[in-house]
Amino acid sequence: MTVDGLIHLGASHFGSALEVQAALADMDAVGTSVAVAAPVHPRGADFTAANKAVAQACAGSGGRLVPLARVDPWDVAAAVAELGRAVAGGARGLFLHPAEEHFRINDDRVRPVVEAAAELGVPVVVAAGFHLYSEPLQLGRAAQWAPGNPFVLTNGGQFNISGMAQFDAELALGNDNVLVQTSGMYREDFLERVVATFGPERLMFASAAPVFTMAYERARVDLAHFGDEERDLILDGNARRVFGVPA
Amino acid sequence: MIFDMHMHIEDSAVLGWQMSAEDCIRAMDAAGVQAAAVMTLTDLPGLNPRGLELIAEACAAFPDRLHGFLRLNPALLEESKRLLTMAVTELGFRGLKQHPVSTLQHPGGAATIELVRHAGELGVPTLFHCGDEPLSTPLSIAETAAACPDSVVILGHMGGYFHVDEAIDVAEQFPNVVLETSAMPYPEKIREAVQRLGPERVVFGSDGPVSSPVLERHKVVIASLGEEAAGLVLGGNAERLLGVAA
Repeated sequence: MTVDGLIHLGASHFGSALEVQAALADMDAVGTSVAVAAPVHPRGADFTAANKAVAQACAGSGGRLVPLARVDPWDVAAAVAELGRAVAGGARGLFLHPAEEHFRINDDRVRPVVEAAAELGVPVVVAAGFHLYSEPLQLGRAAQWAPGNPFVLTNGGQFNISGMAQFDAELALGNDNVLVQTSGMYREDFLERVVATFGPERLMFASAAPVFTMAYERARVDLAHFGDEERDLILDGNARRVFGVPA
Repeated sequence: MIFDMHMHIEDSAVLGWQMSAEDCIRAMDAAGVQAAAVMTLTDLPGLNPRGLELIAEACAAFPDRLHGFLRLNPALLEESKRLLTMAVTELGFRGLKQHPVSTLQHPGGAATIELVRHAGELGVPTLFHCGDEPLSTPLSIAETAAACPDSVVILGHMGGYFHVDEAIDVAEQFPNVVLETSAMPYPEKIREAVQRLGPERVVFGSDGPVSSPVLERHKVVIASLGEEAAGLVLGGNAERLLGVAA
């Protein structure tokens, strides 16, 4: 069994698009049973409508798609309210994209939204690695706002084609509630070091499709050097635990 | 022949970086890669004074499999030109490596242009680190390509995470630019590059051995280029550019 820890559903303001049937077909092609689905940044920035659309798609997927709620924390009260509404409707976590919504993840104005997720008992997933918005050390600070709640960083917590952000990402992982996803992380040795240093419970497979390619992102995990039990956690167990997906 | 255009060997006590020729060979064997361009992670003259000897000894130990690129700092221009000349004419090195983030030398600066032009005069290409950091973006390196039309300029990582489209644009503008596929995470962009530039303008690289040549080669397979184009990208183009025999 494999759970993809993040895909993006819908037609994005920024040009990418992945619709439900295509997502399910792509998942079938790479042997993914379940995917955790966040809305894209919707055209018109109506996050409530986008969350409802993803929730509806997930509800009709026979359990193969699990919804996250995406909010824009610039209007904190509205974001907290929308998160509460979405979680009551079945959302299994909060998704934040600091780069696309243009906020700094460790800005104090974001804190109530992260704390609201913890109070609702759902994890926080953050699009990680974006310069100025979600750098690994900024993410580590934000993770400390709700230390008992899982704080999941996409893209290995970083984006740097020279590997120069790996140290910072490891500092972020110094927070016990931080996990990193495998999406886009080109350094196999970093992924293996996360498991060796922090434990296999801290690394989660995710494709981040359609930003990245499902088949290639799955290959990152298949070709890395993990033990069978470690691989089971990375590909399946960790996402099930964090997002409450039944086995 | 499968040829990896971007691999590293280093032995720097100062930085704690250790990767040997044998590490490269093991990673290449695992990926079915027959030959590779190898270079240090440090720049000469600099932190590893034995950088040239390290690469030369590796290539001598595996003469059919490892081909040296010399990584130099253009800030020390005359010494860099002397070292490159010696490396190419006496030791059989096949290329120049430039990492502007490491050397803090802008690709459009006079020193870099003179060094890259010198590489062209010696008949060897220059592989640039080309990613998202200042000093290394495709438009920065385009300045070099424009000033050195007789030098082959290879954009390593073909623009990284966020500058891939610009890298393809730059290669479209300058016929002396070649794209190298390592680390950047989009298989479909390899296919787009081949479609827009032709298969002769894209080369496979892994940035190994710390990046996985197996995974990086798989990326080219997923790109579904077709047999002829894949053959050029995975090895044929390197054979032509570096003058190495299949």
